[in-house]
Amino acid sequence: MAAAMELRCWGGDWGLPSVHTDSLVVLAYAKFSGTKLTVSPVDWTWKTLTASVPELVCGESVVQEPTQILNFLRKQRLNADYELTARQGADTMAYIALLEEKLRPALLHTFWVDAENYSNLTRPWFASRSPFPLNFFLPSRLANTALARILVTKGEGLLHRISEVEGKIYSDAKECLNLLSYRLGTANYFFDNSPTSLDAFVFGFLAPLHKADLTSSPLQSHLRQLDNLTRFCDNILAAHFNADKPCPLPPAMETMDANLQKLTQLVNKESNLIEKMDDNLRSSPQHKPHRPDPKSSLSSSKSSTPA
Amino acid sequence: MSPQKDPPSGVDDFPHSPWSKTLLCGFAPVRLNPQPLDRVTVPPWRSRRISEEYYNMSLAAEAFVSQMAAAEPWPENATLYQPLKDDQILLSDHASSLAVQAYLRMCGLPVQVVCRANAEYMSPSGKIPFIHVGNQVVSELGPIVQFTKAKGHTLSDSLDDVQRAEMKAYMELVYNMLLTAELYVQWCDDATAAEISRPRYSTPYSWPLGKILAYQKQWEVRRKMNAIGWGGKSLEQVYEDVSQCCQALSQRLGTQPYFFNKQATELDALVFGHLFTILTTRLTSTELAERVKSYSNLLSFCRRIEQTYFEDKGS
Repeated sequence: MAAAMELRCWGGDWGLPSVHTDSLVVLAYAKFSGTKLTVSPVDWTWKTLTASVPELVCGESVVQEPTQILNFLRKQRLNADYELTARQGADTMAYIALLEEKLRPALLHTFWVDAENYSNLTRPWFASRSPFPLNFFLPSRLANTALARILVTKGEGLLHRISEVEGKIYSDAKECLNLLSYRLGTANYFFDNSPTSLDAFVFGFLAPLHKADLTSSPLQSHLRQLDNLTRFCDNILAAHFNADKPCPLPPAMETMDANLQKLTQLVNKESNLIEKMDDNLRSSPQHKPHRPDPKSSLSSSKSSTPA
Repeated sequence: MSPQKDPPSGVDDFPHSPWSKTLLCGFAPVRLNPQPLDRVTVPPWRSRRISEEYYNMSLAAEAFVSQMAAAEPWPENATLYQPLKDDQILLSDHASSLAVQAYLRMCGLPVQVVCRANAEYMSPSGKIPFIHVGNQVVSELGPIVQFTKAKGHTLSDSLDDVQRAEMKAYMELVYNMLLTAELYVQWCDDATAAEISRPRYSTPYSWPLGKILAYQKQWEVRRKMNAIGWGGKSLEQVYEDVSQCCQALSQRLGTQPYFFNKQATELDALVFGHLFTILTTRLTSTELAERVKSYSNLLSFCRRIEQTYFEDKGS
């Protein structure tokens, strides 16, 4: 328990202690459980190529992967989940699975596969933090790994083209964000008032998306509409990472966000209403067959859509 | 009804004429058009709003298909296709197929199970099982649930938003842990792969095609395991993950009859499909089944669902 623990992870930027999702998860959990960690960023070292990040070195044992690291810390009695009931622990596992399956592919796509973001943000960042000559091929290697992961897990075997999968992964990710928003509600953390490993995972996934300076990201704008999630990230940053400059939203933008939030809620309610109307219409005794207009209206409205 | 020329911004294109009662497909950005949306909340007008941000042929086509699906009631001759039951089907496919069958039975929708050797290739996404309803083909539990919802049969209506979020999260847990573990045990464990999976997978084909296809499938699954980080796991670790997943499910279920108290949902169908298959399939070692058996409330859950929904099945 007293052995010094060292965490190797990517460095920070954009107001975050680290820009890498997995590293951020471990860092957040360390803060929540009161672990004393020395953080040694792998930036500008050859470890960017050789080490698997994040990596926890404690005495002689080396642990990789966020879940393994969290288990290891729990065994060392550094447990942020101590007060959770069994059912809340089960919920934690379920929500982490949801994040991994639904949100991770879209995050990988936003940062590594989307051409604009990759060339404007991700590649310069990672290249500038790698030593010569790694900066030439390390970012592209990471990008290829990301693309391969998306295609292998989400590509339907026969469709090995990313464009066919894009729509689906983004809609899954938006749904995942909505579900997280419903679950969080108005609370500060997911369970009671103290942060747990689920909060660490959600923070690790959402914070880079929230804070990064992405040029084109529908997912980021969707996240920004869900202000309980953005507030969640900002809270954790302010409370646990003592951010010197908590990114203040100018008041005008806040009211606009409030309006957007109201509109989103209105639209969601209206979709529910339309679905209920559908049910009513379907269950009415005389089921009127549709006129064969759907095809023509669809094709005519397609032609009027902006390209 | 004709569009107004150069309508002022913020106003919809059809301000004066009454809107017709046909299906309208609007591709407007969500945040700019509250006015027309207000007008279509009043029956008998109905609309489906499709976001412009992801205007994508497949999404528009999906919305269109679901609208067409809603037009027809569930036919009597709906069929579910899966690989041959005795010789060919593998653990993970059987689990998925049983989950879909359980779901359809819970909805009270009749479906006929047909076994075909080439079911995997017939399926639109390459995954088993798939259903053939009317003139549409839908595969995998997620899309099938949406499809039946479009036809008006759904089990998760009475759940509120938080419960629905939980249900989706637990379904992802099952896919992430149980299904992946099943695939791992079948294809990445050399003993099982050599004794059971490869021979079974190659039964419909003659040598050497069977061997080639079996090895190709094994390579594909191993590639996927490596991509998600399960490639380096040992069998013992995988069994441990299965135990943890079952523990989570057992704690969530508690003493209730179903996961969301009185009513069966798609989560119950999915969990039943996987657990029942694990319990009743013979593998090279009984370790997997033993791990599941140690949770008695899951066992009684499976028995209860089998008795309630499958009692006329016989064996």
